[in-house]
Amino acid sequence: MAADELVAELRAFVGSEGPVQTARHPVNGPAIADWCDAIGDGNPVYTDEEAAAKSRHGGIVAPPATLDIWDRPGLPAQPRWRPAGLAPAEDPRSHVMRKLEDAGFIGVVAVNSELEIARYLRPGDLLQNKQVLEDVSEEKHTALGVGHFVTTRQRYETVDREHVGDLLFRILKFKPNTGKAAAPAEGDRPAPDPSPSLRPRPGINRDNQALFDGYRLHELRVPQCQGCRRVFFPPAPRCAACGSFEMGYAVASGRGTLHSFTVVHHPQVPGFRYPLVVGLVELEPPDTGGPGGSAVRIVADLVGVRPDQVEVGMPLEVDWLDSHPAQVDGATDSRGPITVPQFRPATPRRREDTVVASALRDGERLPLWTLPLSPTHIVAGALATRDFQDVHHDRDLAHQKGSQDIFLNINTSLGYMERYVTDFLGPEAVVSALRVRLGAPAYPYLPLTFTGSVQSVDRETGRVVVGVQASNDLGPHITGTVELELQP
Amino acid sequence: MSRHTYARQAAIVGIGATEFSKNSGRSELQLALEACAAACADAGVEPSQVNGLSTFTMETNPENEIMRGLGISELTHFSRIHFGGGAPCATVQYAAMAVTTGVADYVLCYRAFNERSGRRFGTGVQDRPAGATAEEAQFAWTSPHGLLTPASWVAMFATRMMHEYGVSSEDFGRVAVADRKHAATNPAAHFYGQPITLEDHQASRWIVEPLHLLDCCQESDGGQAILVTTAERARDLVQPAVLIEAAAQGMADDQQMMRSFFRDSLVGLPEMGTCARQIWETSGLSPADVKTAVLYDHFTPFVLAQLEEFGFCQPGEAKDFIADGGIELGGRLPVNTHGGQLGEAYIHGMNGIAEGVRQVRGTSVNQVAGAEHVLVTGGTGVPTSALMLGVDR
Repeated sequence: MAADELVAELRAFVGSEGPVQTARHPVNGPAIADWCDAIGDGNPVYTDEEAAAKSRHGGIVAPPATLDIWDRPGLPAQPRWRPAGLAPAEDPRSHVMRKLEDAGFIGVVAVNSELEIARYLRPGDLLQNKQVLEDVSEEKHTALGVGHFVTTRQRYETVDREHVGDLLFRILKFKPNTGKAAAPAEGDRPAPDPSPSLRPRPGINRDNQALFDGYRLHELRVPQCQGCRRVFFPPAPRCAACGSFEMGYAVASGRGTLHSFTVVHHPQVPGFRYPLVVGLVELEPPDTGGPGGSAVRIVADLVGVRPDQVEVGMPLEVDWLDSHPAQVDGATDSRGPITVPQFRPATPRRREDTVVASALRDGERLPLWTLPLSPTHIVAGALATRDFQDVHHDRDLAHQKGSQDIFLNINTSLGYMERYVTDFLGPEAVVSALRVRLGAPAYPYLPLTFTGSVQSVDRETGRVVVGVQASNDLGPHITGTVELELQP
Repeated sequence: MSRHTYARQAAIVGIGATEFSKNSGRSELQLALEACAAACADAGVEPSQVNGLSTFTMETNPENEIMRGLGISELTHFSRIHFGGGAPCATVQYAAMAVTTGVADYVLCYRAFNERSGRRFGTGVQDRPAGATAEEAQFAWTSPHGLLTPASWVAMFATRMMHEYGVSSEDFGRVAVADRKHAATNPAAHFYGQPITLEDHQASRWIVEPLHLLDCCQESDGGQAILVTTAERARDLVQPAVLIEAAAQGMADDQQMMRSFFRDSLVGLPEMGTCARQIWETSGLSPADVKTAVLYDHFTPFVLAQLEEFGFCQPGEAKDFIADGGIELGGRLPVNTHGGQLGEAYIHGMNGIAEGVRQVRGTSVNQVAGAEHVLVTGGTGVPTSALMLGVDR
């Protein structure tokens, strides 16, 4: 079928409405709690009956980013799981997507998502929605491949017809491997293999082995004299202060601040990704049970932070990297690879009271938040948002569909974004809209770093708009805004 | 107050070098012998009269091969200094100690390598086997995290200088501009006739932020030798004696090899402070007596720190001291009039000693009037050394 014929056929559906889709289960506490676990959202208005009762909500509410998860049909709607005899979904988007898949556009990514919240959901609300197909684009040449954008709008109501919110959603259906591969700049050498096992190996000996053994246990050990309890770095067999040869270690908290840093561009060697940010980290002093000694610093590479985001003095927390085949005093160590510390920006603290709008400054920056994204984060997020699309949990099928790995689903990205902003503003900041444009996929092992700033504050009404971006090594993953209401 | 007893009792009587290049086309041993022979010829001393040698532990040309090549029948002193580029001025100090104590009569200090066409220091330590001796294990705290090159080690200090003292990349660039200005008029310099502007510096690519390419010294092939004897013998030789007015080595305060990241402050060079104290005490001089200096410049930031450690300005004020051509010819203290290691060549600081000798003799291509006392320093960020050279009167 020619491309224009396909477009004409698909566009015949624009404006059509799907059937009313009704949730199988009402909004409920256990599902909210699972969502909060997956997102790591500690806001008590979602899970703590007592705190929620005292809040402006008067009781438990569901996180606003969950608006569109409750009436999802779940696993049985996935093609391979559909029971015999159950007809495929009849909504216009599903219809258009099947047509596109038949024409070879088997890849799918979400492009835009805009959630508008009319009121927060409460346990017991039984939701339904009706979908309208707003648009199907011409064939477009995108970075991912040749494809079509499909835009729908969904109106969410309770079964009693109370309007609770809307979702505008745009996806790209594309043909895998038809994208415009970025041409390497002239003179660029291929980047070296970044596998951590290729990093230069540390010389481990009797004087420093206890530290590396601790790293393997994810203990950030600091040498400590057993005579005078002084901590110091690097390790030495004799205490310069008291003369003792009895050496042990204290365990540092893993928190620290950045004392200095460099960004390595040249030369580039295997085991690292460039440009490489390397920090000199001043550790929070461990509890020594005695005098502390001077501040202890260690060198470690920084993850989840771009060179332009690094600042002397920034708070950091330890991360761990399984790195090298181990050798101790030159002999092979049979315990498997050693581990070395890395640091990422410290996770911002969740605010326990709620800021008032008049206390915010236009342009005020939110602290960096770096999320070390694992496959578990991605799968837990997909399931907690009742999204059973295989690309969010099945690596083999994700590969088949042209993706290098499973990737974060849009609802989880929105959940993180909402958490990031409400952790900053406080538990009773009321979200009225979440609008994002999606970019680079969020794959596991690429730390996802959130930045944000207050874009506007209306001190009369308390309406606040916060701009947020979450990026990884591939570029911006989501870029968008959270609209909220605060006490003026 | 302590005074080194060999002060003004020993002198440099000859200097000799090969050409400085990117590809010498001959062995490192040949470069060393050419430089040594040239230093003897400069002094009017027969190579066979030399009975002492002093060099770096990093030197690949052993004393016995130098001895064979120069036709020396007997050596009574041979010493080596550790810690890379920190060694140059210490080779001269050891030579001075040897000749003034009667251990040797003529001592050649030498350094020669194919550091560009052979093993390049700029590639760093990533391919070194991870031995576990106390010395090798020091790399365990940096190499697994990607700090593998001298540039990356110095950059960590430079960021902190910028943070604490408000130094800018342009301030570092002013050091490079001064060096290249001086190299431009020195026919022996690799960058003869090639001055740069601050804009060139700023536009040069990053090596390790905050260091641009033009903050980093060259990689060079070449050799340099310095001949030392007693002041008394010196007065009978062809060149005017250049007295060793003071010489010093220094390590200080939680010293590491170019990675002293764990001491309280990262903005000074306490090991150079140790040298400075000895140099001023032994020579009886003060910064006001010094009209030109050769300050080790493998990377620009530490030139600023040296000006502060020697008291040419207060801590944190070097950026003002070097402003407006302060360390260029005609400025308040012309530094590295041969072009330094950024402009002339990187011969591990030994070529800087030769320039100090030329300034005292009055034969530099960029001669500073009244240069009666010339300060020369060794490598920075490492255990190091320094010299004060002066006229014999």
